[in-house]
Amino acid sequence: MQLCVDNVHKRFGSTVALAGVDLYVGADTHLLLAGANGAGKTTLLRLLAGLTGPSDGRVTIGGEDPRRSTEQRWRLGLLSHQTLLYDDLSATENLRFFAGLYGLGADIVRPALADVDLTDQASARVGGFSRGMKQRLALARATLHAPEVLLLDEPFTGLDRRSAGTLSTRLLVRTRETGVSSLLVTHNVVEAAQFVNRVVVLRGGRIVCDEPWNTDDGERLQALCDHHQELAVHE
Amino acid sequence: MNDVPGIWTHARLLLRKDLMTEWRTKERLSPMVFFVLLVLLVYNFAFELGGAALWEIGPGVLWSSFVFASLFGLQRTFAAESTNDCLDALLAAPVERGALYLAKMMGNVLFLVGVQLLTLPLFGLFFNLTPGLYLLPLLVVFLLGSASVASIGTLFAAMASHSRLREFLLPLLVLPVLIPALISCVAATGFILAAGIPGRAVQFWPEELTLHVGMLALFAVVFSTLAWMLFDFVIEE
Repeated sequence: MQLCVDNVHKRFGSTVALAGVDLYVGADTHLLLAGANGAGKTTLLRLLAGLTGPSDGRVTIGGEDPRRSTEQRWRLGLLSHQTLLYDDLSATENLRFFAGLYGLGADIVRPALADVDLTDQASARVGGFSRGMKQRLALARATLHAPEVLLLDEPFTGLDRRSAGTLSTRLLVRTRETGVSSLLVTHNVVEAAQFVNRVVVLRGGRIVCDEPWNTDDGERLQALCDHHQELAVHE
Repeated sequence: MNDVPGIWTHARLLLRKDLMTEWRTKERLSPMVFFVLLVLLVYNFAFELGGAALWEIGPGVLWSSFVFASLFGLQRTFAAESTNDCLDALLAAPVERGALYLAKMMGNVLFLVGVQLLTLPLFGLFFNLTPGLYLLPLLVVFLLGSASVASIGTLFAAMASHSRLREFLLPLLVLPVLIPALISCVAATGFILAAGIPGRAVQFWPEELTLHVGMLALFAVVFSTLAWMLFDFVIEE
């Protein structure tokens, strides 16, 4: 599946979030979107998820506008720093609800919960879960329909180092096993290094670096991101 | 890839989820019912109603309490989706935006009609309303009036949910647009209640009622169609 961002501009009033971004993401890509706060990373991810539209330019998934095509949105999975789960529903009810939206049967819920070690909490309300449990359930929700592309917006935020490591490993296994492509926005670059194979750095709404990444050296990746963050500060 | 469910399946799933949440939290119905009861109680002590006075002031009391109570419900329309950014999950899912509108609109109609049916007996008790079959057309007025309020209210609730001033913005947007529909609601309710005035010949469906019910049906259809068309733009930005 191809994700295509063609000369995209996005403005919020007088604030320019993206200024002429071109990006192409093909199969087997695990892309890290890095950059300082306000660089436009989350905006770009939201455009790809079909949550908002560009002010100018074109965003397509499989050749179609994700906002208008339910078929293309079906191919996406979205995992965010927010859980995107209903606190007043149980873990099972949350997954059953989202499974229904994707046209999946309720039988998919039990193995999905087992997969993230939440079988014992299946009937407990999500509002009472710890942050780590919520994020595991969020991962189950995002991958319930076996998406072709996972959009990950700061999924490690609020997690302690151990939980972040666990989630990172689960993501790694999930993406490698199923051949899912992924776009990851995170400041936890070290955690991300083990499963990305391409790094894109945004600065001031523009792509300033786009290169392949073939090592799991987190420190080096951190250094690259820090370098661009430094440049952003001096601009 | 599985077949993407249709708009009605999505609307049904979303509505069921909202009803399940409401059943557990009661966060929409409770303040709505409480508000209507409070208004009815205050008016009960303020006026000694009955007979012709009931016909003159009763519909206004009833509908002003319903409309203001509906604002409590409308404010909460997208509250569950705002918490934890659940709206993002819905918009990123293969769900037509129209399904979300339909579900939220139908939910608001159900809640409002529920409040009306729960509080009507108390209105009857407080205001010496003679019970009888002549009140049955009230169901039609309640349903169409609620559909008018919910159709436009759901759109504005979506618009206001993006704003920091949502509590202030929603009534400001909704109430002026609703005035024509409210006039029809009050007039239609007045004609129905008038049939119960002692000494008058009971008419099950007074002739004048048809015009106002027709107007209400028209408002409901026009408001729903306009809101449906605009919802995509409102919910995404």
